[in-house]
Amino acid sequence: MAMSRARKKTVFEVGRYTILVIWLLIVAFPMFWVISTSFKPDHEWFAWPPVYWSQEPTLNNYLNVWTDYSEYEDTQYIKSLQKPWIALRNSLIISLTSTFLAVGFGAILAYGVSRYRILSETRMFQLLMLRMVPPIVVVAPLSLYYSTLGLLDTVIGLVIVYFLTTLPYAVWMTKSFIDEVPREVEQAAMILGASRWRTIWEVVLPLVRSGLVATFLFILILTWSEYLLALILSKTEVVTLPVELSKYEGSTEGRVYGRQAALAVGVTIPLVIIGVFIRKHLARGFSFGMVRR
Amino acid sequence: MARIELQNLRKEFGRSVVAVKDLSLTIEDGEFLVMVGPSGCGKTTTLRMIAGFEDPSSGEIRMDGATVNELEPGDRNLGMVFQSHALFPHKTVAQNIEFGPRMQKIEPETRRRRVREVAEMVRIAHLLDKMPGQCSGGESQRVALARTLITEPDTFLLDEPLSSLDAKLRREMRAEVDRLHQELGKTFIYVTHDQEEAMTLADRIVVMRAGEIEQVGTPLEIYSDPVSLFVADFFGSPSMNLIPGTIEKSDGDVVFRNARTSISLPPAFSGAEPGPGTLGIRPEHLTVGTEGELVEKIHLVEPLGKDTLLYFDYGGEDDLIAIVDGVSSYRAGTELGIRFTPEHLFLFHESGRRIGRAG
Repeated sequence: MAMSRARKKTVFEVGRYTILVIWLLIVAFPMFWVISTSFKPDHEWFAWPPVYWSQEPTLNNYLNVWTDYSEYEDTQYIKSLQKPWIALRNSLIISLTSTFLAVGFGAILAYGVSRYRILSETRMFQLLMLRMVPPIVVVAPLSLYYSTLGLLDTVIGLVIVYFLTTLPYAVWMTKSFIDEVPREVEQAAMILGASRWRTIWEVVLPLVRSGLVATFLFILILTWSEYLLALILSKTEVVTLPVELSKYEGSTEGRVYGRQAALAVGVTIPLVIIGVFIRKHLARGFSFGMVRR
Repeated sequence: MARIELQNLRKEFGRSVVAVKDLSLTIEDGEFLVMVGPSGCGKTTTLRMIAGFEDPSSGEIRMDGATVNELEPGDRNLGMVFQSHALFPHKTVAQNIEFGPRMQKIEPETRRRRVREVAEMVRIAHLLDKMPGQCSGGESQRVALARTLITEPDTFLLDEPLSSLDAKLRREMRAEVDRLHQELGKTFIYVTHDQEEAMTLADRIVVMRAGEIEQVGTPLEIYSDPVSLFVADFFGSPSMNLIPGTIEKSDGDVVFRNARTSISLPPAFSGAEPGPGTLGIRPEHLTVGTEGELVEKIHLVEPLGKDTLLYFDYGGEDDLIAIVDGVSSYRAGTELGIRFTPEHLFLFHESGRRIGRAG
């Protein structure tokens, strides 16, 4: 006998939520594990059976990573890699600068493509294809160039490489938003006496603002968490947070999971803060092509 | 003052597309000119060249004698109303209207007063604080009009301003546009694909086809004296009955013949060359009765209230349509004679060119 419609619907809903819940657990568990580990004392890091909720929660990991505090008075065993504030500063400077540049130039380029067709469809596609080359392919020759140009291990070196590698994304994303702004709206402004720049400032920018913000966050996340290029193009002077993070798990230092987790939480927080600030724009921006009309 | 002259205006897109072919036209000051034609005929491209959004490939645009080809759209003293209204969605209605004067650096005090005046003129004073998204289609169109009116342009360009509105609203706004033209006495250039709008609004109609002017004339001229099959077919609703057949001559008499009938044509057509052609007659010039040149069964009766359309399937591509006054008692299937009023006959050459004049 066939199932009734209502019953079919219930079965479907149950199946749907089961899958969603399983997926949520898969996605959320690592985050939970990192946060939980960051509050565990040393002996719980490797404990078996695993400790999910720490019996003796402590802030030592955070203090140890982010301040000069150490519970072991005499040992300085991980002091050598304690440069998280410097890494944070580097990461902030590099990510924000390169993201601003990428979104800024990307938007200008995208405007040109959208309104003046300065790049053909093929060129636009090639631009994206170019970005499909795995970074590992270019990183060796790039580090040679960089050492000759004196850009190795410098902030500006990383800014340049991040700016260039994220520019295609910026162009593609912002173009989709600019395309949504009707040309007639711009023409209306121009025939009312506004100059091209005035039109962009007064009409186009306000309409694509959410899109630009979404693009900004997307690219910021890319550059903020980029590891490979940062690892190879920087040595000791300019360490970014992802590289710093990797140092907590090495042949010389051992596996200091608790400290690493405390750092990882710190790495994530700035993105969360930015996300909260711009959430109004994100909802609108990430639902592509939903310019306010 | 705004007398606009277009001289040998040409627009090519890429190498192969010629949107406008060497168009020459003079639009008089204060005139209401309607450019009409099917989509792709070049009417919008012409308007956009006048506005300055498209550069002509060649030719000249003059306003009051001065060439304006090189002027920016904002410097041509034009106002434009777009099909999509093109309101600024992030600004209030008041800010939308205020945009033009603000660009002209007019004092805020004066601006606010003008916004109010213009809003009252098009009856949208109650909408000033709303966002465009909260306005209906008709209201948006009024806002767009107000935004254009406030800058007091010499010439108004209207690009299918009513085609996004529903039928009732379209009639209302049509009257509004007409009223504005009469009150302001400015030059209006209006683009539409709707022949009815053209007929009701225009001082002069420019019929365009494939980038060229097919005919220029008053609505009456265009309707009663079309130069070609294209114009004859485009104007009038229901459109002109067009019957394909052959033109034959015997003993000096000209006869139009097809599979169903043969109609002897009035002497005015005596100059017609024998060969394939098309006979045209408007539905209102067919009379039905007991006898006529053609005897056919009614295929469909369409009562419109004031009058009734009778459709006859005479074997041609389209049905033959006749209009009778009032509510008709005829039923589908009834056989009727159809009379062609000789002085209202049109004859077209195979190429679409009009031959002779009957009336």
